[in-house]
Amino acid sequence: MPKAVNLLYIDGRIMGNNYNWDFNSILINWDVFAHGLVVTAQLSALTLATGLGLGFFLGLARYSRHQIFRLPSSIFVEIFRNVPALVVVIWFFFAFPIVSPFEVDAFTAAFLAISANTAAFSADIYRGGIQSISPHQWEAGRALGMSYLTIMRRIIFPQAIKRIIPPLTGRGIEAIKLSTLASVIAVNELLYAAKQLSALNFNPIEAYTTVAFLFFIIIYPLTHISYFLERRFGLSD
Amino acid sequence: MYEWDFSVIPRNIDLLLLGLYGTIKVFLTAFAIGLPFGLVLALLRLSRNKIVSLSASLFIDFLRSTPALVLIFWFFFAFPILIGLMVQAFLAATLTLAIVAAAFYAEIFRAGIASIERGQWESALALGMTYTALMRRIILPQAVKRMIPAFLERTIELLKTTPLMAAVAYSDLLFQAMDIAQKTFRPLEVLTAVAGIYFLMIYPMSLGVRKLERHLAKSGESTVH
Repeated sequence: MPKAVNLLYIDGRIMGNNYNWDFNSILINWDVFAHGLVVTAQLSALTLATGLGLGFFLGLARYSRHQIFRLPSSIFVEIFRNVPALVVVIWFFFAFPIVSPFEVDAFTAAFLAISANTAAFSADIYRGGIQSISPHQWEAGRALGMSYLTIMRRIIFPQAIKRIIPPLTGRGIEAIKLSTLASVIAVNELLYAAKQLSALNFNPIEAYTTVAFLFFIIIYPLTHISYFLERRFGLSD
Repeated sequence: MYEWDFSVIPRNIDLLLLGLYGTIKVFLTAFAIGLPFGLVLALLRLSRNKIVSLSASLFIDFLRSTPALVLIFWFFFAFPILIGLMVQAFLAATLTLAIVAAAFYAEIFRAGIASIERGQWESALALGMTYTALMRRIILPQAVKRMIPAFLERTIELLKTTPLMAAVAYSDLLFQAMDIAQKTFRPLEVLTAVAGIYFLMIYPMSLGVRKLERHLAKSGESTVH
């Protein structure tokens, strides 16, 4: 319990409704926020690249005719889709290091957990997109003597991508939001920076409001880009 | 080689059940508040008054594009100072989850309502129905049917965000698990078991929604997302 909250509990009247907002304490410590923002950006970029990349192969594997590919990828996808992301983050930080062959620091744990979550969700997006293309196109490609890879690369994927990109951007936005979970295991990202600063300066209102707005101004335009893509690709079909 | 010892789970089953109870309590409370609030937000957003609809959509967009954990921290650490009252972890976290869920429900309600053809509105108005009667008797019954899959998916999502409460020390299932893991020095077993409990809760729900969606698609019902 931070001291600021206890203090006000004793005398809420003083701070109560005429609270004096003081963003100076934020501006003075702007470098702490900037550093947090950089870590948030690094974590988001790494999880996006890994999650969306791995998700593609998982999606293909789930669509495969061979049980040997289909089963493990389905198990992976169902586990990481249905276990809450924070539980996975905590698991990778506290439990995984015990059996892990390599060193797992907080950043790595968060990276692994959020990437797995993103991969699992995007796998179904890729699969849905690929399955939405009529099977006749596969047959036509095969009749022309094309290999699986060629059909995928030259016929199926260019059409499927239109249906894949809008939900995939949504998933990317979700991954950025998930990066805040890393604060729970003390990764020095934006939310954690606010947590530490507010404990130091007793300014939770300004610190958390600033962080909320920073996320809003990053993510809000992205959601509009995703709506735009949805409309754009929706029209061209 | 690590020696697994799952006996910590039955030995601490009472604490885990207590945590599960906390999780379910938060989930149901947030759902019960979030659903009607979501409908209200959707109706405000569809309002013909520009100012009302604009502020409702800004409110919805803000909640949808800010991470839930940031909002929980805000409600737990900042909000109490602003209103000058002590806020319990349960209240702060449940309210946040409810409001966030409401913002997402609002978008589903809106899409559902907007998917009902213009003609139905006009014919109801021509029959002399009031806005409330038209909404309650004509539009919503049809819209709700189309929203069901998206709506259930969002409700599962709400259940999946409840572990965030552990971050403000509310004793939900995840918090109890971390507590037991620390006391018994068996994080691997405890956390794996708890991940399994979450999976067993959520997976059947996901399967059910998928089945329903396929069923609706086959019977030609249109749905919204």
